[in-house]
Amino acid sequence: MAATTTQRPKSAHSAAFRRRRLRNDILFWFVLSLFVIFAIFPVYWMFITTFKQVNDLYNLDNNPLIFNMAPTLDQVKYLFEQTDFVTWVRNTLEVGLAVVAITVLICVPAAYALARHNFPGSGSLGIGIFLTYLVPPTLLFLPLSQLVAGLGLNDTKWSLALVYPTFTIPFCTWLLMGFFKNVPREITEAARVDGCSRLGAMFRIVLPVSIPGILTIVIFAFTLVMQEYVYALTFVSSSEEKMVTLGVVTNLIRGDVFFWGSLMAGALIVSLPVAIAYNFFMDTFVRGITGGALK
Amino acid sequence: MAELARQRSTGHHMIGRRLGHLLDSERVFGYTLVAPAILYIALLVGYPFAIALWFTVSDATVSQPIGPFTGLANLQNVLNDDIFKRALANTFIFTLVSQALQMVLGTTLAFLLLRKFRGRRIIRGLIMVPFTIPIAIGVMAWTWMFNPTYSVINWIGTHTGLFTEGPNWLGEEIPAMISIIIVNVWRNLPFNAIILTAGISSVPQEIIEAANLDGANFITRWRKIMVPIIAPILFIALLFSLVFTFTDMTVVWLMTRGNPVNSTHVIASYAFVTGVISGGLGRGATISLFLFPAMLAGALVMLRTLKARTLD
Repeated sequence: MAATTTQRPKSAHSAAFRRRRLRNDILFWFVLSLFVIFAIFPVYWMFITTFKQVNDLYNLDNNPLIFNMAPTLDQVKYLFEQTDFVTWVRNTLEVGLAVVAITVLICVPAAYALARHNFPGSGSLGIGIFLTYLVPPTLLFLPLSQLVAGLGLNDTKWSLALVYPTFTIPFCTWLLMGFFKNVPREITEAARVDGCSRLGAMFRIVLPVSIPGILTIVIFAFTLVMQEYVYALTFVSSSEEKMVTLGVVTNLIRGDVFFWGSLMAGALIVSLPVAIAYNFFMDTFVRGITGGALK
Repeated sequence: MAELARQRSTGHHMIGRRLGHLLDSERVFGYTLVAPAILYIALLVGYPFAIALWFTVSDATVSQPIGPFTGLANLQNVLNDDIFKRALANTFIFTLVSQALQMVLGTTLAFLLLRKFRGRRIIRGLIMVPFTIPIAIGVMAWTWMFNPTYSVINWIGTHTGLFTEGPNWLGEEIPAMISIIIVNVWRNLPFNAIILTAGISSVPQEIIEAANLDGANFITRWRKIMVPIIAPILFIALLFSLVFTFTDMTVVWLMTRGNPVNSTHVIASYAFVTGVISGGLGRGATISLFLFPAMLAGALVMLRTLKARTLD
């Protein structure tokens, strides 16, 4: 297309060409903005709901899209002072750290062995571990609830620290394998010839250059704890043991009354860090899912 | 280049021979490092799955988890359950309709994002937002937008003249189903679009130009060149998206609780109601086991693509 247009004498077509390009541009931006509005309108809605005065929010004569009265922090205050929001955040941090620790301790060695060593069954094991990522929580929540109860972890946040690695281990092992494979074999082989042990080669040579990969799985494990819902809903019912997402979407509904302002305030506060973390992590995530099919 | 590769492979052979006697220790080393991961998955995925299978053939309840063996009674009950049948149908409807919409809209969006324009990074970031915020949170925002009294969607609709009086989105059967599909599409569209963008931009420009010179139009280019080249990626994206939508209960549970009159349940949400809320572990497990074939099919497809890839 580009080749044929440039070959044409410019002056003869330029007016029509320019008009067509303008029309294309307008159409392009119009369609693109529809997509953008669809994507972010709910977030705008969370934002405006959070900072509206209650009388403004529930007045049907008002335009709901704008502030008809001065914005207020009342709903945010309510969230922090009248609910267990702070406890939920602390729970999320504690469980998040535990899940990150378990994930790193288990995934790093496994991914390292699977990516850099050939032993019988190593290929199938790698794929097998990744495939468990496809096992949905809705298939396992009933037996796991019994298992959790049997371990005495019923209705505690630690039940979640125990089960969340079942998501993070498969995906993070797979992701890390990609990172470890990218470190040239010659380097570790040279180190081995120089008398470095297998473990030494891993700790002193491969791990230091794979820090970005390890950071990625840390972010992944942590954001998962922030956003998981099904297991949290199944295993935990006491408010003081809840993760932040579960707390926000369950505890701000009392009977039939939804505290929409504070609910959306909590939603906004949870979403922002996760969304920002994911944006940095997105390309790695896509590469992980497509498994390096793209080069 | 070829010479380099040959050198490297002979190098491998020599080292291989020299370290031949250490092969055992490589094996030990490998298994030791993988063991914790395998153990964790065996204990917290494999073992619960075995319990789930046992639940389906026993009359297990929360008060009596080791119930008596009842054979296929649970299965029979479930298959005779009208709510379950509806949930099964809904699961397919929601998954397939949202996936179809995601593919069409996702391809459109991918081509838009491939164009070079100012602020592309920001626009891409904004488009990704639905995928990045926690699913339960996103669903709550939509539930509020669909609120029977304060629905902002109906406000916009009536004020722009799209409709005179909006439906009670989550309170009527068909609007509720449409709402669930909209939220699924909203949530998964970015993922589909971003993977398609990555796929399309990996197609060599020369091939497309050659096709242009041969006079191929857009549809032919898309069908005969793009799709075959990006098929493996497309496949995986499709698979993940399908499995995640098929097995999800969050959207339905938070938006409608399966209502009005149990017409919007999906397998996962109905299993939750039966197994967790009413405590019928046996029947609940039987219902959620219907998710397994979908997952298995997914796993098999995945396995084939992955095997094919690790070979080259």
